[in-house]
Amino acid sequence: MTPMSSVETPKDANGTAGTDMPPAPGPEQLTGRQRLAAGLWPPRVTRAQLTVAGLLFVLGLGLAIQVTSNNDDSALRGARQEDLVRILDELDDRTQRLEDEKQRLDDQRTELETSSDQAEEARRQTLEKAQQLGVLAGTVAAQGPGISLTISDPNSAVEPDMLLDTIQELRAAGAEAIQVDGVRVVADTYFSGAGGDVEVDGRPVTAPYEFKVIGRPQDLEPALNIPGGVVQTLEKEQATATVTRAEKIVVDALRPAERPDYARSSSG
Amino acid sequence: MIAVLGLVVGVVVGLLVRPEVPAVVEPYLPIAVVAALDAVFGGLRAMLDGIFVDKVFVVSFLSNVVVAALIVFLGDKLGVGAQLSTGVVVVFGIRIFSNAAAIRRHVFRA
Repeated sequence: MTPMSSVETPKDANGTAGTDMPPAPGPEQLTGRQRLAAGLWPPRVTRAQLTVAGLLFVLGLGLAIQVTSNNDDSALRGARQEDLVRILDELDDRTQRLEDEKQRLDDQRTELETSSDQAEEARRQTLEKAQQLGVLAGTVAAQGPGISLTISDPNSAVEPDMLLDTIQELRAAGAEAIQVDGVRVVADTYFSGAGGDVEVDGRPVTAPYEFKVIGRPQDLEPALNIPGGVVQTLEKEQATATVTRAEKIVVDALRPAERPDYARSSSG
Repeated sequence: MIAVLGLVVGVVVGLLVRPEVPAVVEPYLPIAVVAALDAVFGGLRAMLDGIFVDKVFVVSFLSNVVVAALIVFLGDKLGVGAQLSTGVVVVFGIRIFSNAAAIRRHVFRA
């Protein structure tokens, strides 16, 4: 690429692009191929070579930079603006959908947690209720403060109705769980037989009759000892009644839970 | 020969250094490269024709780059940057092809 225009005649000067050359008249002496070879070898340090080398250096630099930056992995780099806008819209939509789904799942989780809390609470209350009712129905053992009452009957003079009176008196005084000689006293308990041959709920019990009663001892003991009360009545029959307060009475006689044959709950 | 060396060195330096292009210049770099390519092909053809003048080459190289960048800049301002870029590339592509044809005739005599 050495300047040779001074000795050459252009064949078609007006067709050259980028470098419009002034026409240089003169006979053509060299072919283009010869000029190319002459320009390439041997290397000559001329002003033209150096300027062209500088410009070509800039060109190569720009080319390399552009090629490298285009080779970036990012597929978005060369994307047109409309494509970028579309991609952004899609991403926004997707984000929106995912947000909605997250919200929905969060709500669902909250709902499930609440309902499981509620179910747990209901179960706990039901269990508590079942325990309370079990104490009343005699299906579970009970313990608490109360009294123990021992009625000795050397003359077999204690009639079932006296024992029933004792039970009534204890209930009136607030007894919550009672057992007599290992038989739990519940709502349908009955006494039968005769003195010295007493049956509770059809099971024979013998003297001394051991009562275990859970309730407030300060209420139960006076209820038995009042004048004309259970203890005095029994003593008239030559029987002795011994009342002992205790901080812990265990009523552990049980009876099976039986489904009533006819009675049904009328509520619900 | 030194000119070819300059081109090679430029490519190597660009690949090795990987300079960060300022964001302002970035959209114009590809167009500027194409414009410079056109100037180089024109210069090569002029050399083969025997009418090469280094001053003319320098001026055409720089003016090509500047005008191309200016057109793209103007197109961006007018909102038709993409279309105008395409137009510039097409025009330069045609010129490069015609120059290449002239060069081919010189080198291969065909």
